[in-house]
Amino acid sequence: MTRQISRRETLAGVGVAALSAGCLGRTRNIAGRDRSSQLTLEINAPPADRDPNAIRIARHLAENLNAVGIDARINTLGHTDLRRKVLINHNFDVYVGQFREAEPFDPDAMYAFTHSRFVAEAGWQNPFGFTDINGVDDLLASQRRTEGDERREAAADLQRALAELQPFTVVAFPDPLTAVREDRFENWTNRQPLSVGGLLGLERVGAAGGDADGSETGNETADGDANETIDGNETDEDLIDDNPLTDDETDDGDTLRLVTTDERITQNWNPIAAEYRRYGTFTSLLYDRLALVDGGEAIPWLAADWERTGDAGIEVSLRDADWHDGEPVTAEDVAFTYEFLRDTAMGGTESPVPTPTFRGRVSAVEAATAVDDRTVRLTLDGVNDAVGVRALQVPILPKHVWEERTDVATIAGIEFDAETTEAVVTNNEDPVGSGPVRFAEATPEESVAFERNPDHFLVRDAGGGSTDGADADETDPLAGIPERFRGKPAFGRLEIEVMGSDIAAVQAVGDGLADATVSNLGPDSVPRIGREADARLVTGESGGFYHVGYNARRAPLSNPRFRGVLASLIDKRTLVDVAFDGYAEPAASPLAATPEWVPSDLRWGDREADPTHPFVGESGSLDAETARERLREAGYRFDDEGRLLAPST
Amino acid sequence: MSQLLSVAGSLALWVGSALLVAGVAIIGPRRLYALWNDLRERLWEIRRPLAALVVVLLASAIGRSSLQTVSELFGLQLTWAIYALEGNFVAWVQATFASPRLTMYFSAIYVYGYVFLLSFPFFAYLALPRTTTVKRLIVAYALNYAIGLVIYTIVFAHGPRNVMPEMVTSLLFTHNPAFMALTGEVNEPANVFPSLHTSLSVTVGTFAVLTRREYPLWTPIAAWLAISVVIATMYLGIHWLTDVIGGTALALGAVYLSYRLVDEEGEGDGSGVVGDGGDGDRDAEK
Repeated sequence: MTRQISRRETLAGVGVAALSAGCLGRTRNIAGRDRSSQLTLEINAPPADRDPNAIRIARHLAENLNAVGIDARINTLGHTDLRRKVLINHNFDVYVGQFREAEPFDPDAMYAFTHSRFVAEAGWQNPFGFTDINGVDDLLASQRRTEGDERREAAADLQRALAELQPFTVVAFPDPLTAVREDRFENWTNRQPLSVGGLLGLERVGAAGGDADGSETGNETADGDANETIDGNETDEDLIDDNPLTDDETDDGDTLRLVTTDERITQNWNPIAAEYRRYGTFTSLLYDRLALVDGGEAIPWLAADWERTGDAGIEVSLRDADWHDGEPVTAEDVAFTYEFLRDTAMGGTESPVPTPTFRGRVSAVEAATAVDDRTVRLTLDGVNDAVGVRALQVPILPKHVWEERTDVATIAGIEFDAETTEAVVTNNEDPVGSGPVRFAEATPEESVAFERNPDHFLVRDAGGGSTDGADADETDPLAGIPERFRGKPAFGRLEIEVMGSDIAAVQAVGDGLADATVSNLGPDSVPRIGREADARLVTGESGGFYHVGYNARRAPLSNPRFRGVLASLIDKRTLVDVAFDGYAEPAASPLAATPEWVPSDLRWGDREADPTHPFVGESGSLDAETARERLREAGYRFDDEGRLLAPST
Repeated sequence: MSQLLSVAGSLALWVGSALLVAGVAIIGPRRLYALWNDLRERLWEIRRPLAALVVVLLASAIGRSSLQTVSELFGLQLTWAIYALEGNFVAWVQATFASPRLTMYFSAIYVYGYVFLLSFPFFAYLALPRTTTVKRLIVAYALNYAIGLVIYTIVFAHGPRNVMPEMVTSLLFTHNPAFMALTGEVNEPANVFPSLHTSLSVTVGTFAVLTRREYPLWTPIAAWLAISVVIATMYLGIHWLTDVIGGTALALGAVYLSYRLVDEEGEGDGSGVVGDGGDGDRDAEK
């Protein structure tokens, strides 16, 4: 500060002297230069109440940044504001967040996330503004088009390139921890307890033979639990007696009660809204997709079947289904959905307004046409089978509802931003989907309730299919659907209540006020599950890796060398031990949840540090001098107090 | 929901009994008797400040969520600035003093002690022969809420437990999750500056000092409780030291303004000024 004043004084005081001395040129040369100041980085993360892990990663990074002379500032923001800032406005330096895939995913998920063709779009597509035209872009394209070993090699090189260039630093894959109680619903899987498949696979305790499918399910389920259930004579009423405060017990008996710290599902049900969807589990229950992935396998869902036709086509035949408002689901709706997601303005604006989520998936589909009422032909952009099947996993939208939402979004009739359509910003109140649950009611920021859709093919066709032998027509309307989903969901109503923190959520499960927690649990709440008699910890595997994202539009974050040094300030191993209490796996590659894709040089295994950008220091304590040396080598400079000087932009 | 009801019920029970005991011991049976006889007239006399307080509370209850949205979109995001200003002070407080007993004490103070501290002076000052003090108290409450709401909208910041969970345990909610149901109804986690717990407690404390001649016994009790609440906000990891300082400044400002707005002599005159308490609020902002 004092120097700045002295510069002005110099300019004023020495001005005349400089002129007379004839060295105006030299003065200009000095005064005309921008002066450097300390580099400031803002790290955006949700507060601990909303995500107990992310803020710990943010603070860890901030501390180490401060130690090497960068002024790191932590900015806490709610989920929605954080997403808006990062994904929509791209107005950030650094953020800490989770990837949007709940389950382990195909390498093609990186296509939208890192391809440079998406830098100008808002949403989950390349929020970093990262461009590597000859490297990452090429590899992303080639893993899309090749098969077998060739694809494996492209995916491996892609991961190496991403590890080298660090548009984002993968920190860890968290175990999706869930506190559950099993006195009302059971069959909580240890794979994906709260995925669409996990929720639909639940069984009601004591629902012996009540439903037509009871016996079927009993025979099919692998673990003995289901058989016990059928033998048991207990009724629901007996089991929920420990909860005398609920007044109508019969109604409560088949209600699945979940608790979360994430209030977004109580405010917005738009399946494509990037700010409001975490994994999109509940909107996936509202909106069926053509294919549903369960445990890594694609199940024909709204599509009865599909086959590749020729080089570039998929022909999809639809199941008999209705929208929640009674209209039939037609091939026309499916064709509309693909066109709509590519441009939600449907050609009504100067440049297209693509969907902020599922962008990579729809980019694989060049055209979609309805062949007849129940058949759709998707023309693929020369992609391989795996990417083609991924393209089937987008929410199918009713044309008669969404075609009204293609106009540019307005506030009180005034256009605010020509780049946004009503479809992208709508809260989608009273959502009309075709899924196994439909919307019932909501109190924003407090709770939301869904109810079972009795007309869904899982329920409707389950009865018909079980009349075995007498089944005249050979085609099973539920062909391809695993037994455990038939006749589901087992709950008549699904209620989600918002809690103040993860601890309160676990407590609610322990007290019998809820059946399971949905949102992330932190190291303070996990031990609590063990102390609650009826609560149990269920965990599985997740695709939602925690990462630190950098805005490569801003210097010096635009420099991959600089990002590499930042990556080496993150001690993933220690973070997993401390911030996640061990309930996570440190990772070097975004594909670590699907180890078959990860080359051995990027697998974590028993490593202590990242293979590409190892932590500078020993188990938690940073070696700041070495980190500074790295930055000096990368061309950055420090002042005499050890502060990193921001390069002039 | 039932959790909330049980906490609210026990709160009403405990604070109600405490008020009864304190009423007899501090206000004294004579004044209480006079209050009982005179209740209607006194309430009528203080109707204007009371209405102003009710308006502010209603506005806060109704407008809070939309103001919260405004704050999210346009507010100054200052968590980092507060943290840069005071660093790990709250973490130090917890690391140095935290013990299970103190946690129990401060949790009880934060919920039960606070409600008692705020409600008792209302009865005590209403029982005074002149209504000037109770009017000032109500005006000061209203000012605290009104100004607090404006600052909440301008400043968007999270508390220490949300920023450094590895150093600052959310003691209140970790040990009493039921309290969270209650305070969650009242507080937004992104509204920490200033601390309204601090400002209202310090307001009561200041009034207790100013009225020490009327209720000499109340002054040390109020001071003790107010200081305890102030420490509790930090000890429990809910507020920053900065919030507490801001809250104290707000309290002193509100008390000062309440004295300016409600005159000592001429009751009718005083209430006339209070009638446009809303303007007073706005003036305080400028």
